[in-house]
Amino acid sequence: MSLKPRVVDFDETWNKLLTTIKAVVMLDYVERATWNDRFSYPVSMSSILKFELQQNILFSKFYPRKVLDSEEKVLVMYHRYWDEYSKGADYMDCLYRYLNTQFIKKNKLTEADLQYGYGGVDMNEPLMEIGELALDTWRKLMIEPLQAVLIRMLLNEIKNDRCGENPNQKVIHGVINSFVHVEQYKKKCPLKFYQEIFEGLFLTKTGEYYKQEASNLLQESNCSQYMEKVLGRLKDEEMRCRKYLHPSSYAKVIHECQQRMVADHLQFLHGECQNIIRQEKRDDMANMYTLLRSVANGLPHMIQELQVHIHNEGLRGTSNLSQENMPTLFVESVLEVHSKFVQLINTVLNGDQHFMSALDKLAKYCDNLLKKSAKGMTENEVEDKLTSFITVFKYIDDKDIFQKFYARMLAKRLIHGLSLSMDSEEAMINKLKQACGYEFTSKLHRMYTDMSVSADLNNKFNNFIKTQETVVDLGIGFQIYVLQAGAWPLTHVPSSTFAIPQELEKSVQMFELFYNQHFSGRKLTWLHYLCTGEVKMNYLSKPYVAMVTTYQMAVLLAFNNSQTVSYKELQDGTQMNEKELQKTIKSLLDVKMLNHDSQKEEIETESTFSLNMSFTSKRTKFKITTSMQKDTPQEMEQTRSAVDEDRKMYLQAAIVRIMKARKMLRHNALIQEVINQSKARFNPSISMIKKCIEVLIDKQYIERSQTSADEYSYVA
Amino acid sequence: MDDGDESGLVLSHNTSAGSKSSGDKMFSLKKWNAVAMWSWDVECDTCAICRVQVMDACLRCQAENKQEDCVVVWGECNHSFHNCCMSLWVKQNNRCPLCQQDWVVQRIGK
Repeated sequence: MSLKPRVVDFDETWNKLLTTIKAVVMLDYVERATWNDRFSYPVSMSSILKFELQQNILFSKFYPRKVLDSEEKVLVMYHRYWDEYSKGADYMDCLYRYLNTQFIKKNKLTEADLQYGYGGVDMNEPLMEIGELALDTWRKLMIEPLQAVLIRMLLNEIKNDRCGENPNQKVIHGVINSFVHVEQYKKKCPLKFYQEIFEGLFLTKTGEYYKQEASNLLQESNCSQYMEKVLGRLKDEEMRCRKYLHPSSYAKVIHECQQRMVADHLQFLHGECQNIIRQEKRDDMANMYTLLRSVANGLPHMIQELQVHIHNEGLRGTSNLSQENMPTLFVESVLEVHSKFVQLINTVLNGDQHFMSALDKLAKYCDNLLKKSAKGMTENEVEDKLTSFITVFKYIDDKDIFQKFYARMLAKRLIHGLSLSMDSEEAMINKLKQACGYEFTSKLHRMYTDMSVSADLNNKFNNFIKTQETVVDLGIGFQIYVLQAGAWPLTHVPSSTFAIPQELEKSVQMFELFYNQHFSGRKLTWLHYLCTGEVKMNYLSKPYVAMVTTYQMAVLLAFNNSQTVSYKELQDGTQMNEKELQKTIKSLLDVKMLNHDSQKEEIETESTFSLNMSFTSKRTKFKITTSMQKDTPQEMEQTRSAVDEDRKMYLQAAIVRIMKARKMLRHNALIQEVINQSKARFNPSISMIKKCIEVLIDKQYIERSQTSADEYSYVA
Repeated sequence: MDDGDESGLVLSHNTSAGSKSSGDKMFSLKKWNAVAMWSWDVECDTCAICRVQVMDACLRCQAENKQEDCVVVWGECNHSFHNCCMSLWVKQNNRCPLCQQDWVVQRIGK
């Protein structure tokens, strides 16, 4: 071949070329000689060709006609042609790769050009590589004219499939896939075309179909059948998605189905929850759980029902037994109920965290039962029960949550003197220690020791007072618990400021004097919100004694000076904040010790109060209840978040320990080991472990290894 | 704190009058069950040597189960640490790790 430029007659060459291209695209046979001849045109030639091609792949015009002519088999024909065409287009793309890379790449608009505009080039007709051009042509000339027919046919086919007929899976999938394929080369939103012409419509149709289906099913079956059928449907639909659709649509379709069949009938399902749970139909519960889990607002109702049920079962199981029955029976039934639900929850409900919290309530409830109703039983019997309780305890996964709750309840029992016997408390702590190790109970143990240390302190303090040079009269029976900060699950920040009543001042001063002589380097913080006292009422026919909180005490003592006291005076006298003071006054109004002078419901800043001089009570010694001793939701919340904090620290410690020992470890191996180490306390979530790893990387305890992406190394 | 002191002063002469005639009062106190929390009187909650809260035992004592004996020590500089942490520290360097002054024990917690 001569290297001299030669003049080429474009039309002539083009015609020759065209026949070959046709043949290639149609997957016909092309002779070797022609082949060589046709594809050795110089770049300049090809560049012209490129523009011509745009105009001239019009041969595909004859396809739409042919496809439409084939009547019912539109889809099949379309599929067959698409198959051929797309293969052909691929070959073309390969043949003209040189053109693609040399000419078009250079002239093609870059992303930036597209984005910011580029003068002089027609934006509507950007240059395309040959393969892209072919696909684009197909979209314009085939899909768009045929769109309406194709989509209708497709939806029809899929509907038939739903009704149980056996469609031509390959064809449907191929056709749908062609919608995706023709725009696949685009860098930006390659699925847009598919979503526009097919997906949206398909979802609407699916929604309609299942809406109808759900109401049919509801009419002909009861709840448990309905759930089973719906689950079956959902499963089928998921298979169907995988057979036909682009992966991006799977979730959307399933969501649509769930909306129509579950969310739309949520009320019906919730209504049935109660029955199912009451009767403990396991299969139904499992089905219900699977269905509700996927829908927003689905689960809470079921959780609530389950909690109520567990609570009732617990009550029923234990209240049937009277005191004369063997106490072991009592625990056994608690045990029975407990193990039943543990099993149920683990097997049926996949141990969902929310359900575990219901379980937690049970543990707490058992504990309360064991403590409070244990009155009137011998210590041996209590001992037996506690042993059984440990058996239950071993089944609890999230032992750390239990620990937190237990610590809080123990604190209340100890401070308010609700424990039956200190020996049982100690026995219980020791049993927990055996089950979970020293660390687990160290704080519980410290709480327990604080109690006996305090008893000792009280004795020493009494001696101290007696041996003072001038005789000290505190004017009150004084007793104190001195707690060690950090060991007790108590808030240091009191709910209110408080000015201690003058009558208590001396006790405080004397004790602080004593304490500072006895110890060094310590400071005392008085927890007024936990202090209680007894107040004798001298103005009534009978000498009543009220057991009150220190706050109530302060309010009552204000009435020693005058019979009516204004809110303002109380506020100045006690220095309490509005919320706490109102709560305290309200508790005294509720038991009718005080009268609200204006008879109004609300306590206002102008309110005045006076003593009820005709107060009576059945008992001469009574307790004024406040909401303080109950578990408030905030406390529960605090406990939860405290558990979370502790878990993070525990996990970080575990990670550092492991990494220190191993120096290098892969991500998965590390996670596995952390889970193994913390299993005795709780089941950590993977995401929490990951977060902890990140924190430690930030703190430079460990770092990502330079050699491999998923490996960590310890930083000494 | 100031408030408390003041009221204490004002009230103290009342108390003497009050306690004599307690029978005449509307209410008289019989019992008070107080609850107080003790903590080390320190400026910084964590021991700068072992990074553990001073209210908790240091790690060595935790490991050896000697929590009760793990007390706090104050230097003349008023910085405080676990006593056992500090006694190990001064063997290497007889200065306060926080302010580099010569370490002189002011008092030991009890």
